[in-house]
Amino acid sequence: MMARARQLPGSTPLFDTLLSLCAKRDDPIAQGRHKVWGSRALWVPPQTSTIASHLPKATGLAFALRRAVRLGVATGLPEDAIVACTFGDASANHATALSGINSARYGHRRGNPVPILFVCEDNGIGISVETPRRWIEEAWSNQRHLRYFLAEGDLAEIYESCAEAVEFCRTSRAPVFLHLRTVRLWGHAGSDVESTYRTDAEIEAIEAQDPLLANARLLVESGAATPDALAAIVRDARARVAAAEGEAASRPHLATTADVVAPLAPQLSSRPRIGPTPERRSAFWGDALPESAATPSKRTMAAHINSALADEMLARPEMIVFGEDVGRKGGVYYVTAGLQKRFGVSRVFDTMLDETSILGVAQGAAHIGMLPVPEIQYLAYVHNAIDQIRGEACSLSYFSNGQFTNPMVVRIAGLGYQKGFGGHFHNDNSIGALREIPGLLLAVPSRGDDSARMLRGLLAVARECGRVCAFLEPIALYHEKDLYETGDNGWLTDYPSPGDALYPGEVGLYGEGDLLLVSYGNGLRLSLRAAKRLGRPARVLDLRWLNPLPFEAIRQAAQEARAVLVVDECRATGAGIADAVVAHLAETGYKGRLASVRAVDTYVPLGPSTATVLVDEEAILRAAKEAIA
Amino acid sequence: MKRIAILCPGRGSYTKRSLRSLPADHPWVARAEELRAEAGLGSLRELDATDAWDPARHLRPDSVSPLIYLISMLDAQEAMAAHQTVAVAGNSMGWYTALAVAGALSFDDGFRLVQRMSRLQMGPSPAARARGPEGRGEAESLPDAGGLGGQVLFPVVDEQWRPDASRRALVDEALATSAGEAMPSIDLGGYAVLAGTERGVAHLLAALPRVEIGPSVYPFRLAQHGPYHTPLLAGVAERAARELADLEFRPPGTPLIDGRGTRFTPWTTDPRELRDYTLGAQVTTPFRFTTSVRVALREHAPDLLALPGPGNTLGGVCGQILAAEGWRGIANRADFERVQEGDRPVVWSMRRS
Repeated sequence: MMARARQLPGSTPLFDTLLSLCAKRDDPIAQGRHKVWGSRALWVPPQTSTIASHLPKATGLAFALRRAVRLGVATGLPEDAIVACTFGDASANHATALSGINSARYGHRRGNPVPILFVCEDNGIGISVETPRRWIEEAWSNQRHLRYFLAEGDLAEIYESCAEAVEFCRTSRAPVFLHLRTVRLWGHAGSDVESTYRTDAEIEAIEAQDPLLANARLLVESGAATPDALAAIVRDARARVAAAEGEAASRPHLATTADVVAPLAPQLSSRPRIGPTPERRSAFWGDALPESAATPSKRTMAAHINSALADEMLARPEMIVFGEDVGRKGGVYYVTAGLQKRFGVSRVFDTMLDETSILGVAQGAAHIGMLPVPEIQYLAYVHNAIDQIRGEACSLSYFSNGQFTNPMVVRIAGLGYQKGFGGHFHNDNSIGALREIPGLLLAVPSRGDDSARMLRGLLAVARECGRVCAFLEPIALYHEKDLYETGDNGWLTDYPSPGDALYPGEVGLYGEGDLLLVSYGNGLRLSLRAAKRLGRPARVLDLRWLNPLPFEAIRQAAQEARAVLVVDECRATGAGIADAVVAHLAETGYKGRLASVRAVDTYVPLGPSTATVLVDEEAILRAAKEAIA
Repeated sequence: MKRIAILCPGRGSYTKRSLRSLPADHPWVARAEELRAEAGLGSLRELDATDAWDPARHLRPDSVSPLIYLISMLDAQEAMAAHQTVAVAGNSMGWYTALAVAGALSFDDGFRLVQRMSRLQMGPSPAARARGPEGRGEAESLPDAGGLGGQVLFPVVDEQWRPDASRRALVDEALATSAGEAMPSIDLGGYAVLAGTERGVAHLLAALPRVEIGPSVYPFRLAQHGPYHTPLLAGVAERAARELADLEFRPPGTPLIDGRGTRFTPWTTDPRELRDYTLGAQVTTPFRFTTSVRVALREHAPDLLALPGPGNTLGGVCGQILAAEGWRGIANRADFERVQEGDRPVVWSMRRS
């Protein structure tokens, strides 16, 4: 990065690095939030240290480069740009690294340009564990759809190999694995005492390979420099660093909580109304406008999400929709049906079966100005890729002080109550892993019209604030038509007109009464059913926004109730929102009765057995009666 | 011995108070007189030694520029003898001096460069050049056509050198409404130096409100200055490349920082890049002196910013840049003055009177 910075007039990499090392507020990339190198001007996103977690997004960026051009998104990057991504020989074994490299090969195999240069800096050891000799060559030199280059030897030879690898990547637009042999002098980090796992002889042998000294020898032997001149460079560099260090060390740290968290979750300053022009809608929908739909199947949540995606894609040319089976098939629940046909494979496409790679593509596309809407097929599948949201996507704005962001809406199908199909992996009912992610905006709709309006709100927040948003769609409600009785069509809604959106903090309220039921998703519908059978007036609040929770609206509604019952369809322990809502009301002095119903702490079983573990209408009714007894 | 960064002044630095700056017997002065004679131009020693200040004569670009070069070179030599120079930069024409101070050009080549550029930049018509003491308040007496244009100075900080967003916005608006006739020229600490055609200059002077800071009133036109560092000088750059093709650029002996903030080190400099920049982009694109100083501070962390003469035009400017950087805890003018009066001043103005 130092060498790259030198190409940018006015850059000050020495001082910037010192500020970062001292964790100072003036550190231009992270403001001291993490010891990272990065620069917006240099196109170097700051990289944190979850092992190899950046490879999927690097591949995603390489994949997105061409796609952005095709969609007319102004990236500010030259047409022959490539992505360079460095990692070590130990990290090359990490599942995330394998995922990133595999998806690059896969993408290229399918005919996509994926100009990525994987640079494996092989020093033969990961902290104290040696990499088997030739392991990196054996693993990577013979892979199809991945050109391997080895860079070793003296400076000139290494330069030649690197230049060749870059040139190949740039011109062929294909993935390249550049195996860069290097040595590690000293320990892994300051606290790592090398002599505990290496003998003195080994340490001496490695120090004899010091590349700085080897290069110095080469320069002297070739007559390019004198020993005195080289010593002068060293003296000059030392003096500069020592002098600048004093100034850097005197700078302040981030001092307040507000300053520390400022880039984490920027908020909208207004309620934007964004939608396609009537002309575009008319050209797209013809006389089949979704708001005119009368047939029940066109008024379900699945239909509304489908229509809202279409309207938003009309209004936002940089928006792309992708995931497993979302394209040709239109999604396993047909939520994306017809979108590929209408918007083309550049904007709506199927991906390989790997959530890590899907989220990698989303981040890469988001980095260069697109608005990705990736789909994770089932909530349980998020967990094998959760670090792409937690360690990568959501942390980026924080570690770059908002200079790099990941605007995206991750659609996830999940939660229980699915008829005829289920079990843990399809009906997972835990959002704990999403709720704890700082900066992630999590929304769960319970009704069709809400789902369209919330999706619009999320897309606006993602675009305007650069936020990572998750939209958890209750599978069991996708095609639900009825509320109280079979055939009552009480859960069908009209399609809200474009521009009509819901934003974080805006909750739904049903009915009036001194008992307040607080719920979301499937639990909302169950609560409405139970409230009807209660035999006395009750009020039902739809949270809609599960991270952050709409505490202000909850407090307001609770003020008017003498009892609050939280209906949480997620597992009891740390999986849902009941703990947080109850604790908040208790801590803010709520004087009425507080109670909750939650699902059992177990994986969800198949078939009728699910009724034994999920929250049902009877349980809500019992708890409600108790609460107001 | 301190680690110093030498910052060479630009065109506005030689004033009435600078008269009689030249030593009588320094070999560089003698050599400069020879080079003047070779070019068929008058004596600098005589010009400097006169008692009466004559702006038309003393501020004539092809006289004042070599004079500034000579005085700066002499001062810089003195500073370098006493301290360790870690970086050299300059403002506007001070870049030419900086090249010679750092050893990227010989004394003679530096002199020729300054002399030739000042001649080329005088433009086709002498009528285009402003007259009067330092140009202040002289805008109305200027001819409105026939010249290349000029430069206008306007502050973008307040009295205490804190950034003033409203003044910056006024500058942006004045440029935006100039129909392309005005443009940024130099980023000079707390000042925006703007440039334009004659029409552009008139527009700037009319569009920018009157601002008083201390005894100075802004905006004002810089006397006998052309629209330096703008595309309006593309023709000058072309002629310079032809007429100064024989200048021998070489790697500097100490790191040099140009008007974009690019560092040229003794070990990595390609002299062709120095030439291309000096005779090309430097002439036709904005000069970012603020960035030069910022890079000098952040990449070399000097103990002192040494400001050779003539004059002390960059003293306040450096203070403003230090305040913008928060260097040594300086946040405003009062902080700067306190540091300057303490035992570890940060700016060394060699000709402060």
